[in-house]
Amino acid sequence: MMDTVQLFVTCIIDTLYPETGEAVVRVLHKAGVNVSFPPGQTCCGQPAFNAGLRQQARKMAIQTIRAFEAYPGPVVVPSGSCAAMIRHSYSELFVDDPIWLLPATALAERTYEFSEYLVDVLGITNLEAGFEGRMTYHSSCHLLRGLGVDRQPRALLAAVRNAELVELPETGDCCGFGGVFSIEHPEISAAMLDRKIKNLEASGASIMVACDAGCVTNINGGLHRRHKSQRAVHIAEILDKP
Amino acid sequence: MANIFRSRIRASLADENLQSALDANAERRIRVRKDAFASLSDSNALRERAHAVRAEVVEHLDSYLEQFTTHVQKNGMVVHHAIDADQAIRVVQEIALQHGAKLIAKSKTMISEEIGLNHALEKRGFEVIETDLGEYIVQLRGEPPSHIITPAVHLRRQDVGRLFQEKLGLPYTEDISIMTNAARRTLRQVFLNADIGISGVNFGVAQTGTLCVVTNEGNGRMVTTIPRVHIALMGIERLVPTMDDLSLMLNLLPRSATGQKLSVYTNLLNSPRRSEDPDGPQERHIILVDNGRRDVQASGLREILYCIRCGSCLNACPVFREIGGHAYVNLLGKSSPYPGPIGSVLSPALFGQLEYGHLARASSMCGACREACPVDIDLPKLLLRVRTGIQSTQAESNSKPNAPVPLAVGLKLFTFAASSPWRFAVAQRLAGLFGSIATFFSKGDPWLRLPDFSGWGSSKDFPRPASRTFRDRYQKQTQSLQGANDQIALSGKAQAVRSEIVGTGSIRTSKGIGDFATELKSLGGNFISCELDGVPQNILEILRVRGIDQLLVWEASFLPDGLIEQLTDAGIRISHPTAETQETSSLVRAGLTGASAGIADTGSLLLLGGPGRPLTASLLPELHIALLWEKDVFENLSQVLQREDVKQSPAAVLITGPSRTADIEMALTIGVHGPGELHVICIKTG
Repeated sequence: MMDTVQLFVTCIIDTLYPETGEAVVRVLHKAGVNVSFPPGQTCCGQPAFNAGLRQQARKMAIQTIRAFEAYPGPVVVPSGSCAAMIRHSYSELFVDDPIWLLPATALAERTYEFSEYLVDVLGITNLEAGFEGRMTYHSSCHLLRGLGVDRQPRALLAAVRNAELVELPETGDCCGFGGVFSIEHPEISAAMLDRKIKNLEASGASIMVACDAGCVTNINGGLHRRHKSQRAVHIAEILDKP
Repeated sequence: MANIFRSRIRASLADENLQSALDANAERRIRVRKDAFASLSDSNALRERAHAVRAEVVEHLDSYLEQFTTHVQKNGMVVHHAIDADQAIRVVQEIALQHGAKLIAKSKTMISEEIGLNHALEKRGFEVIETDLGEYIVQLRGEPPSHIITPAVHLRRQDVGRLFQEKLGLPYTEDISIMTNAARRTLRQVFLNADIGISGVNFGVAQTGTLCVVTNEGNGRMVTTIPRVHIALMGIERLVPTMDDLSLMLNLLPRSATGQKLSVYTNLLNSPRRSEDPDGPQERHIILVDNGRRDVQASGLREILYCIRCGSCLNACPVFREIGGHAYVNLLGKSSPYPGPIGSVLSPALFGQLEYGHLARASSMCGACREACPVDIDLPKLLLRVRTGIQSTQAESNSKPNAPVPLAVGLKLFTFAASSPWRFAVAQRLAGLFGSIATFFSKGDPWLRLPDFSGWGSSKDFPRPASRTFRDRYQKQTQSLQGANDQIALSGKAQAVRSEIVGTGSIRTSKGIGDFATELKSLGGNFISCELDGVPQNILEILRVRGIDQLLVWEASFLPDGLIEQLTDAGIRISHPTAETQETSSLVRAGLTGASAGIADTGSLLLLGGPGRPLTASLLPELHIALLWEKDVFENLSQVLQREDVKQSPAAVLITGPSRTADIEMALTIGVHGPGELHVICIKTG
């Protein structure tokens, strides 16, 4: 009997990158687990939380807690920042709310970022994926510093057949996304993105892998505008390749 | 929206010189900090301890303040309490008037920037001169500092060369050591002629009433030693309970600030000059400044008071790296004295949400600041709290999120849609439809060009929303996967996870004289080991090759027997400096002192002031020779700070290498206000 995980696909992947969501499902299957998709899920509330709109963020957090209440087992999130939101920020949101703090903590305790779940919980690093070419890895901020997850995606990528994995200079530096930051301070965001792209070019890789669809959106949006051929991809899409 | 802030950001981004200065700062500071922390065996445990120490102090601030005040007074210093900037300024003014002061020499203190001290004193006719090289440069330019550790980080050597040409009459040069020398000469007269020296305080030790002031150039020693009155300004939260806690903080502060194991000079000030002491100020005043801190202590931003002002969050911050310190302006365009992540919380906390709250929105929440913080302040959490409109100042009564209106409206709409799965699905369909139409008109291009005013469209394209969302496609995918289920069998099965433990630092090897010598040499100091009878020869040799025939010396009882006679017989003129002879002592090129201890970990010397041991002998000359007995070399800082005599001397100093600065283009320049040469003669004991 295969274990079942609850997929919190995140609003960005749901709306912008359904193929990435499908790749996540296939990779989890490959890793030997069943995937369930609780239909009540929408968004974790991070945009409102980051904007300082606590009331709205609480509303979204409650929505998310409720959506997963009836679905037991690990919750897998293919995004470092959304996983960090649930794991660390829900307790900040409900610090003065005894009613919601408990279920918020319960959800936080069973929430894992995708690569973290594969490596730390399932103990799998080799997903029998193959990729021809040179790729590099971008350590997303909330994944790296918020969740302390870095060795896991690197281990998964190191096991990809035929791939040449090179180090990205200043890999842990922010790409300039930061959710609402990128639209409130587009000038700074663009300057940070320019540095990320410069580093990508210096790495010589054609593909930059990340575990966060937010970073992927920001980096690809910048690469496309600057007519660059490199692309950022979500790790699931690499692990999904046969 | 703070439009002045936005225009300052744009100006910073367009300033190529500033950009290259900021890049150089970030790259260098991050690297040296990392290297310095590598020499600690368990830096994470130290950070946690430091966090706990600061939390304890801030939690029980009043009781630590009381303990500190009692001991400071017992030590003979005068304590003043200032509720706000005006009171603090008034206290300084009254002391200055009492002493008929005209010239005031200052070492760098952020709290004086915070209260606007220089401006206020100048308005009342006092001449106030900043003596930290970087701070001196920005003062000459009429600017505020742009970084809390390196005030002139935004300038290039050419800017300083032109400035010194204009203001000091120095022929234009791009040679940093010539500029540094010019500042040394000018400021030496300031130290000698100043009526009052003003400094900040890095840490006050509650248990002993000790003020700790760290400095690299030596100006922090000068202003606390040479003028007849010393005034120390200190935020009420800058306390540590014990000397042991101080040693913990000193392990972290210089490493975080400048990548040094210890700053060149760590001053431990206990009392003013007593009648039997040769030097030091006649009066030491300490002004404990609240200026909003108690309100912050009672607010949700309390944790920001744990800050020890190392500046490492500025160096780590990608936003600071793009815009620099001067861009952090309030609504009226005035730069905050505290830029970067720390400032984006501290400024709204101390000076008001209304005027400074927008600064907290200029962060991508990347968390690099927290990672760099030596006392593990959760800066992202605090920045987010500022964004909620949290108040700590009493003047403001409204507390609503400080998000710009269009963003708030957009997010409220989003929340309305996303707080119901079916509304969300409808919204996704609409987005998908919009995406399909856009794609049709753009002949299949999957990228959207959003308008510039959206924020996104000015520099990036946006992916087209999918016409069918993941949730629409999920059911179908699941069915197909169910069928394929049996075929999936991962051949490798569960592979063991590689759980390497990465770099927790090396285990210490044997400590001793060898380590001390290595550290000292790496700092640019000279180490000589000899038997007792070889001491005079070694001293004479150092003096001979430099053509020096005069020495400032400690009293004979603190030096090896007969040494002074031997030096005199060899033709060396000996003088014992006192507070009264500072002017002439300042002309002597070399000083000879003992040392009470050496620290192997850091290559530092402990010098205790007091009768017969003028600290000026190790400060005024350009060359300092210290005699250290082998038996007095200890392993670490903590052992040395525990000594009783550290608490009992009027002032003590830990000397870690020759005086240095990196205030111009971060180029290391040896020899600023303190000695540029340090020779340690280590006497074998055996």
